[in-house]
Amino acid sequence: MGKINIAVCVKPVPDPQYYDRVGIDPVKKTIMRNAVPTIINPVDKNAVEAALQIKESVGGTVTLFSMAPPMAEPEIRKMLAMGADEAYLISDRAFAGSDTLATSYIISSAIRHVSQKDGKQFDLVLCGSESADGATSQVSSQIGEWLSLPHLWNVFALSCDGSTFRVKTKIENGYSEWEGKLPAVLGVSYDINKPRFTPVMSIMKAKHKPYTILTFKDMPEIDEAYIGLKGSPTKAGELFEPHNGRSGQFLDGSVDEKVKGIIATLVAHGIAVREK
Amino acid sequence: MMEKKIWVYIEHHNGKVEPVSLELLSKATDIAGGYKDGASVEAVILGDDLQDALAELATSGANSIYAIENKCLKEYSPWTYVPVITQVVTKHKPDLFLFGATAMGNVVGPSVAARLKTGMAAHCIDLHINPQEQMVANVPAFGGKVISEILCPDNLPQMASTKPGIFEKKSFDQHEVKVIKEDISEVLEQIDLSKLKHITDVEVTPEGVGLNKAELVICGGFGVAVEKDWKHIRNLAQKLGAAVACTRPVVDSGLAKENQMIGTSGCSVKPKVYLGFGVSGATHHVCGMNTTGYVITVNRDKAANIFKYSDLCIVDDADKILASLDEAVK
Amino acid sequence: MEFTNEQVMLRDVVREFVKAEIAPHAAEWDEQDHCPDELFPKLGEMGLCGIFVPEEYGGAGLGHVERMIALEEISRYSGGLGIALMTHHLGVYAILRGGTEEQKKKYLPDLCAGKTIGGLAVTEPSGGSDFSGQQTSAVKNDKTWGINGRKCFITNSHNADVTVVCANTGKDEKGRNLLSTFIIEKGTAGFSAGRKEHKMGLRGSVTGELVLSNVKLPEEALLGVEGKGGRIAMESIGEVGRAGMTAICLGILRGCLEDAVKFAKERIVYGRPISKLQAIQLELAQIRIAYECANQLAYHAAGLKDAGKPATAAFSVAKYYSTENAVAASKRLIDLMGGYGVINEYAAGRYLRDALASIPSGGTSHIQQIIIAADTLANF
Repeated sequence: MGKINIAVCVKPVPDPQYYDRVGIDPVKKTIMRNAVPTIINPVDKNAVEAALQIKESVGGTVTLFSMAPPMAEPEIRKMLAMGADEAYLISDRAFAGSDTLATSYIISSAIRHVSQKDGKQFDLVLCGSESADGATSQVSSQIGEWLSLPHLWNVFALSCDGSTFRVKTKIENGYSEWEGKLPAVLGVSYDINKPRFTPVMSIMKAKHKPYTILTFKDMPEIDEAYIGLKGSPTKAGELFEPHNGRSGQFLDGSVDEKVKGIIATLVAHGIAVREK
Repeated sequence: MMEKKIWVYIEHHNGKVEPVSLELLSKATDIAGGYKDGASVEAVILGDDLQDALAELATSGANSIYAIENKCLKEYSPWTYVPVITQVVTKHKPDLFLFGATAMGNVVGPSVAARLKTGMAAHCIDLHINPQEQMVANVPAFGGKVISEILCPDNLPQMASTKPGIFEKKSFDQHEVKVIKEDISEVLEQIDLSKLKHITDVEVTPEGVGLNKAELVICGGFGVAVEKDWKHIRNLAQKLGAAVACTRPVVDSGLAKENQMIGTSGCSVKPKVYLGFGVSGATHHVCGMNTTGYVITVNRDKAANIFKYSDLCIVDDADKILASLDEAVK
Repeated sequence: MEFTNEQVMLRDVVREFVKAEIAPHAAEWDEQDHCPDELFPKLGEMGLCGIFVPEEYGGAGLGHVERMIALEEISRYSGGLGIALMTHHLGVYAILRGGTEEQKKKYLPDLCAGKTIGGLAVTEPSGGSDFSGQQTSAVKNDKTWGINGRKCFITNSHNADVTVVCANTGKDEKGRNLLSTFIIEKGTAGFSAGRKEHKMGLRGSVTGELVLSNVKLPEEALLGVEGKGGRIAMESIGEVGRAGMTAICLGILRGCLEDAVKFAKERIVYGRPISKLQAIQLELAQIRIAYECANQLAYHAAGLKDAGKPATAAFSVAKYYSTENAVAASKRLIDLMGGYGVINEYAAGRYLRDALASIPSGGTSHIQQIIIAADTLANF
């Protein structure tokens, strides 16, 4: 069975634990994220773990791709410490403002670029199923389209050898089983595995693993028309906080009184309740 | 008269049209009025034997149905569906194209958008047409903490997806529907079917009443995520004909399934009444139930976030109230 | 102290591990007084059991700053596991510093992997403060050592697989005890754990008696040079033990700070969060000041040790300050929480008990002040 080269796309996002701190700046009307730390999108770690498991079983390499600003380096290096072999940070002002179509175009171009530069084919591209902040869940499918490769999403079980893969994807009332030929693009879900902890010994090793920044100039084959704000067909309009217009009445009393209150309310709203 | 075309992608299963597709068709008929020259609401459906689905679509509000029948399309695969749909869109040039934000829609929609180099607003919670006749989608971000308007002003079709249960399904009388058959065999011939094969689907029948059909949803959270409490939740739901829902900690404890989870990465529900026990009300959960008619919640923490989004608030041990309520009801 | 990128990353990966494997169980371990031995192999995989041991012996090849970071993170939630691990490090350190190549190769790999648990036994019923007065004696008979005595208040007494035991091996020309250290494996005839203590704090770690009744050891069990073992034991306690206790109380201080902030923001009295009240703000400021100072002292001392500079006095100052102020800060936290502060569902009470129990470990506060005074008189 052959070795395989795996590309894993990772995205630094504001830590979802603190989303209650996110708000809208009343003056600038932009997103405000007071002191919310940045981490790698949690389900992207599942993608890295899936890649590492494949590498451990059939051999190969794991290359990280991340489209992010330069300050993302420490978070990406953590994935190198987890076990990935090399990382590419795709970063340029020209990429700012990209929506999912432009983002998936840029990442696909970077994957193609590295593939050509290093003379190696990426047999598998893994992504997390959705990011915690935007959660469009579109990027993995769109990367599949830009690379003209078979692609599946919401994968929670995966096995592959050097040339074929078998996966299970979640559907509304159960799951689907698929089989296909590599190369392919897969968006994995959080229950595909439990990402390993990073032992402290790996941290120093990660310091010496290749970390390369790819700018717009480094990839002359990129078509400017498809990047940044200009290359983004979706545009953001107004931002607002979700509406909350509930009455919020508190019901006090004994347990019995509260239970009676619930029953009365259910009945008042048309729910049939038969009391003992 | 430059009538617009609003397309809705139809999902169907075993001859039945999925509720989300019918909800989208209803919404399409609503927003059609936002165009000064009106809009035709059109359904796009792929598959093998479409007879039953077509009969159901006759009272769905669609003016036309593009029926794409081919035995190669009997089972869904993005590898075949995406190029086929792209071809039909390129031919007919709709102005809007709406998808359910489902396992299928979340792949097919964005993939078609990528081929057409157009934009898609993902899992929006509302849609309208603005005075400039642009589609405006309201999309939650940061776990629902922020809602952003998304437009696609310069590319066509303007695309959007919505989760099941967000829009209301209207009932229509029998109306005139044009069925247009599309032959896409040429597109299929160019596809290497060996690259991706669908093997099988394994169905896991959901227990009890479906979340999207129930008038009452009983939701258990971290505060009742133990077997002894969950038994009461199940009992109550059975006695009251309610659907059982939960938050992430309950799924993690194995007491309920992921498809019963309400939240931005789970289901959205819009029942008449939501009754929550031991739910703290994290934003991402609230986002999935905030459009409920009436919200009753029980939590022992007076400062629990859920109380801000509730109509009737009870501060007490959720397990106690739950057990007593179960006792009191036949 | 400014951490390097790698030290920040280390802190973050340990924090993730703690969040998943330690934080959810800390209260339970305290309540049941259960020492999570079962976690040692995982701690070993993480590289924490031999964090300062060179890679050639199976360690992570890092330093005492990194060790302090890891112990602080663990102790933020479980002081009990913190002291169990830091005591394990004492055994590891003694063997690393005083051992022959054979001894290091024999014991360090498994200790670093967390497959075996280490310990260090010095304190006796005659008093831990009277270090040179140790009565446990080791007598050499041909090629065998015979050891008799009793050790008390020994952490990891019942679960250590490998314990470095200090004993006196005669007297010098001035009549003072000559001290030596021995490596004793669990199960050695005559070597057993006696009474297990029920502590008020640092529960979740085992503290008890060790009984040595005619324990026969081969020559190879001697650690370091005969008569010079006291130095090994002293250095272990003085620099590694005190550093460990400092880290534990630094973790407790951070726990006090974070819990105080959380409570102050959420507790509504008089219609608004108590964080708006100046009295509460003063308390928060004091806890913060204590944390910042302890932090600086701790990492400064650890940095000195990593740079190969004398660090004993610095660790003494850090240990004294960190432990005493963790007691004060946890009391402030309890006071600020009102009635909630004395409810066991909240960690505040555990912080106080763990901080109090930290003071007599690694030299009492009185001893620290004596040490600091001696250093002051010598150097100022």
